[in-house]
Amino acid sequence: MSEVTMHRIKAIAKKEVVEFVRDWRTIMAIIVIPLLMFPLLFILFPVLLESEAAELDALELSIVIQSEEIDASLEQSIMDAGIAFVVEPLPNLTVLSDPGEDLDRVRNSSVDAILRIDKVNTTWNYAILHLSTSERSNEAWNRLIDALLLWESEEVERRIIDSGLDVNATLDPLRWDGDVAQSDVATSGEQAGMVLSLFIPLVLAIWTYSSALQPSIDMTAGERERGTLEALLCLPCTRLELLLGKWVAVATITGVGVILQIFGLLFAIGYLASSSVIGLPELSIVTVLLLIAAILLFAVMVVAVELALAMRSHSVKEAGSILAPMLLLIVFPALFTQVINLDGIESFWFAIPVVNILLALRELLLNRVITEHIVIWAGTSILYAALAAYYASRQFNREDIVTSLS
Amino acid sequence: MHPLLNLTQVTKSFGDLEVLREIDLEIRSGEVVGLVGSNGAGKTTLLRLMAGVYQPTQGTVLLADGKPVSQMRQALGVVPESTGLYSRLTAWENIRYHSRMHGVSDKDAWARTAKFAEHLGMVESLGRHTKGFSRGMRQKTALLRALAHGPSILLLDEPTAGLDITSARTVRKLVNQLKTEGGTVVYSTHQLSEAQQVCDRIVIVHNGEIRADGPPQELLENTGTDTLEEAYVSLTKDTARPRQEDDSKEGRFTGLWRSFFTPKPPKMPDRGESDE
Repeated sequence: MSEVTMHRIKAIAKKEVVEFVRDWRTIMAIIVIPLLMFPLLFILFPVLLESEAAELDALELSIVIQSEEIDASLEQSIMDAGIAFVVEPLPNLTVLSDPGEDLDRVRNSSVDAILRIDKVNTTWNYAILHLSTSERSNEAWNRLIDALLLWESEEVERRIIDSGLDVNATLDPLRWDGDVAQSDVATSGEQAGMVLSLFIPLVLAIWTYSSALQPSIDMTAGERERGTLEALLCLPCTRLELLLGKWVAVATITGVGVILQIFGLLFAIGYLASSSVIGLPELSIVTVLLLIAAILLFAVMVVAVELALAMRSHSVKEAGSILAPMLLLIVFPALFTQVINLDGIESFWFAIPVVNILLALRELLLNRVITEHIVIWAGTSILYAALAAYYASRQFNREDIVTSLS
Repeated sequence: MHPLLNLTQVTKSFGDLEVLREIDLEIRSGEVVGLVGSNGAGKTTLLRLMAGVYQPTQGTVLLADGKPVSQMRQALGVVPESTGLYSRLTAWENIRYHSRMHGVSDKDAWARTAKFAEHLGMVESLGRHTKGFSRGMRQKTALLRALAHGPSILLLDEPTAGLDITSARTVRKLVNQLKTEGGTVVYSTHQLSEAQQVCDRIVIVHNGEIRADGPPQELLENTGTDTLEEAYVSLTKDTARPRQEDDSKEGRFTGLWRSFFTPKPPKMPDRGESDE
């Protein structure tokens, strides 16, 4: 590549990046929000859930118990669950779950729930009337179920003892001896890699595609729509130089976006690792380099396809309506890839577009470096990337790209 | 005046639509050539062929040294009708971007820009983002951008369209200044009076053909008319075709789909009814 060509590609890419950086809304959408997404999701969301759970725990609930004969220990269990109650006689119903005349009481929240419980011979039949769309009623239902299960287990134990049997031997005849985690010979790093391999490839693929979407459209269909492309096509640069310049710009923006997103994800994982929710994967330098190479090859292909399809479009709207649904072409293979068993996997899977890179990412996150697979996914990915680049260059050479809707 | 650009038997088609037919045109050094024609006549296509954006379907578009225009775009300065300015860049950044692509140093580009910016009253606006620019300022910036690398030929596509009187006058003055300095300009317009004021030579384009080519006085003599308007009318008596170039680019399925959801307009009342 000549010095002049390099100079022009650099000039095009620089101008595109400068224009991009000057639009704070796009920076927010592509860089800042994804950077904060995982820390917010993994750190703040659990905090929010905890505070919501604490709020629910603090609720004082009131219910009605309808029963002819209620066990004192059950009453105690319900009171221990923070529920105030009044006892009423059971209405005359064929089944206890039929709301009957109590329907309005529960629906208008004058009571949080109604527990109906009836002793028939040696068993107890019960039903809880509740309003599933009400938080208070749901909480009452949850606490009642917990109280009933606790009382049931006490009742079971009492009956076993009354029958002259040993409670533990009867209820728990098969027992694990020792620590479950200790018996897994996989290291914590390998286990973490396994967990991450289930969603990192999917997330990376979607990020790469979606991060490149807006800049690809803006630099092609956007230029066409705004009428800036004609002046550009009158310049001495070739269409290939134009494509490469724009490709470098989109790849830079996408790369920075994805790297920042990965940082956000690693920060969140690091935070979770410190609280023992998930560990950090153990990856060798070779594996890390192969991971980067796989993502780069995928990005080359994705950016080239997006630029080509956006350049075919007459307007930003048209480009958006073509490229946005195409995300499904990434999402479906990505979901499909998650269920493929990597043990003894056939090699041809590593030659299928999109699937090959996703499988490669999964395998590499498990720190499995299998030369045959690497040769296949790298070779086919280079081929697909080259085909995508060739297709993009053909689109950039179309004469009609000079015309705009305006 | 030696020839700078030669169009020989140039035909340009888009699909089945023949936009230009067997055009022979020579642009000579130091002259200002006006391309005059109605909308859809083929002026913009002709300029795009001269700029190397389009390749001729038949014929050749060559510079004086015999090289195709597409290989020697440094020789050209182009102001398209849309101006093509980047709104998030300043006027100077727009100019610098193009001059860098032409391989001109920032220092040289600035020197030329500063010279012409004074004539156009744009010195104070060079550091401003072009987003808030008026049509006139955008046109002037595009002119500065086209001149910054010192082109041999300046191609202007309707440079005064949509401009107020003062801005249009400033643009014309600049073209006249370039003419006195020996510059070569191809100037597309559909205003005959403007062409008469600015151009040494007028080329009348109609329905993809050149109907006349020569100095204004020669056109009057050849057509036996007193005004250029009369000359133009006598040369373009056949109905002008509608502009169709963009439609020809539309995919068949796209066109069919759109027509499916487009109701036909109401029938025109016949004369008898309307008179009543």
